[in-house]
Amino acid sequence: MGQNRIWFGLAGIFAMISMTVPTASALEKSYINGIDANFPPFAYVDKTGKPAGFDVDAIDWIAAKLGFKVKHQPMDWDGIIPNLNAKKIDFIASGMSINPEREKVVNFSIPYYDIKQVFVGKKGSGLTVDDVRTKKMKLGVQRGTTEAEWLKTEAEKQGWNFTLTYYDSAPLAIEDVVNGRIAAAAMDDAPAEDAVTKKPVEILGTFGMKEEKFGIAVRKEDKELLEALNKGLTMLMADPYWQVLIEKHLKK
Amino acid sequence: MLETFEVLKDAFPYLLEGAGVTALAVVGAMAFGFVIGIHIAVFQVYGPWWLRRVVGLYVWFFRGVPILVLLFLFYFGLFSLIGINLSALTSVILVLGMTSGAYQSQIYRGAIQSLSYGQLKAARALGMSDTRAILSIILPQALRLSIPGFSNEYSIILKDSALAFVLGTTEIMARTHFVASRTYQHLPLYLLAALLYFMLTWMGVKVLRKLEEKVRIPGYSHLQG
Repeated sequence: MGQNRIWFGLAGIFAMISMTVPTASALEKSYINGIDANFPPFAYVDKTGKPAGFDVDAIDWIAAKLGFKVKHQPMDWDGIIPNLNAKKIDFIASGMSINPEREKVVNFSIPYYDIKQVFVGKKGSGLTVDDVRTKKMKLGVQRGTTEAEWLKTEAEKQGWNFTLTYYDSAPLAIEDVVNGRIAAAAMDDAPAEDAVTKKPVEILGTFGMKEEKFGIAVRKEDKELLEALNKGLTMLMADPYWQVLIEKHLKK
Repeated sequence: MLETFEVLKDAFPYLLEGAGVTALAVVGAMAFGFVIGIHIAVFQVYGPWWLRRVVGLYVWFFRGVPILVLLFLFYFGLFSLIGINLSALTSVILVLGMTSGAYQSQIYRGAIQSLSYGQLKAARALGMSDTRAILSIILPQALRLSIPGFSNEYSIILKDSALAFVLGTTEIMARTHFVASRTYQHLPLYLLAALLYFMLTWMGVKVLRKLEEKVRIPGYSHLQG
């Protein structure tokens, strides 16, 4: 009998552990910002494991000015919009390009940063943008990004010969460029510049995709939050701190 | 080389914290799976035909659908549909637990069926109810026999838990990826992650091994005897 009690006691303890359900407490004016922490210099985790980057600093400034609390939650980029619409996060300030596809399911704030898309190849490879577009080679890109979508549709239209290889993040695509598994990677210019300082790669140039604008994504129904963020962005971009942020994160 | 060492040193506490998250998810899932699995096993062996059918469907479903699909299905679909907003970690524990329950049930069923039916008949002859007999005679033996299978399941769930980041749970793999994205030191960081998984597996298996020795009945080590 004693042995029985041990078994069922154990089951009871296990059951209790599995029942502890931590639910997000809904404090007044507290928001969760979903970030792609694999997107330096806009969003990443610093040495101590805290979220950092241009977007994180910008949102912290806005939150302090407008008097709300904010927590930056790293999310999988693939699922970040479903997470927003399932109310797991409240907005996405993480280098998200405004595009019509996304505007069907979320609202965007005013644009706050212009971004170009570039090809990145191995240093000294002598590749050109045209080589990548016309020759038969492998091109890496992050899944669920605007450049992935654009390259796929445009390649069909223009008859470009590259094969697209999809990655969880741009840094993983860079890693494979260095390994030689793919010839080049397509990504935003700011993270590409970050990669150049850390890996033997070089920027080959823009590849014809129209310049994009970053905006903060908010749920369609959250009009108030959108207004607040717009107000905050306008204030921030008029403030000297905006230049400080650009210097700190985006200028090499 | 020095730079790599610096990166690993900085990343270690952060990844260790991730190992904590992974461990919590796995222990929670194993426990929840245990509760589900033991019920399914008993129902499948001793239940009426319709109950056997129902739990059979459950096992068939959870073993047949990839965990990734289940995670999305429950987190974005079913949990939201019935209006419960569970945290990502809780959802991971529940989904991994339900899946593990399906697998664990077959470990326990195998163990129960390896015991002679005569034991149950003897218990009835002594005037025990079937429930009493299953709880006091069958399960204590069956659970002892199940520990090796359970420890196998532990190491499998541990590695499945790496999928948890699709819901935003920052466990070992997600954190490793973050640090690698900032530092571009992929190889050493993933080696460190592998080491952490290895340590977690080793510790869990060790604990279960100890448990197995602890609950062994002297002179009854080959339970078929």
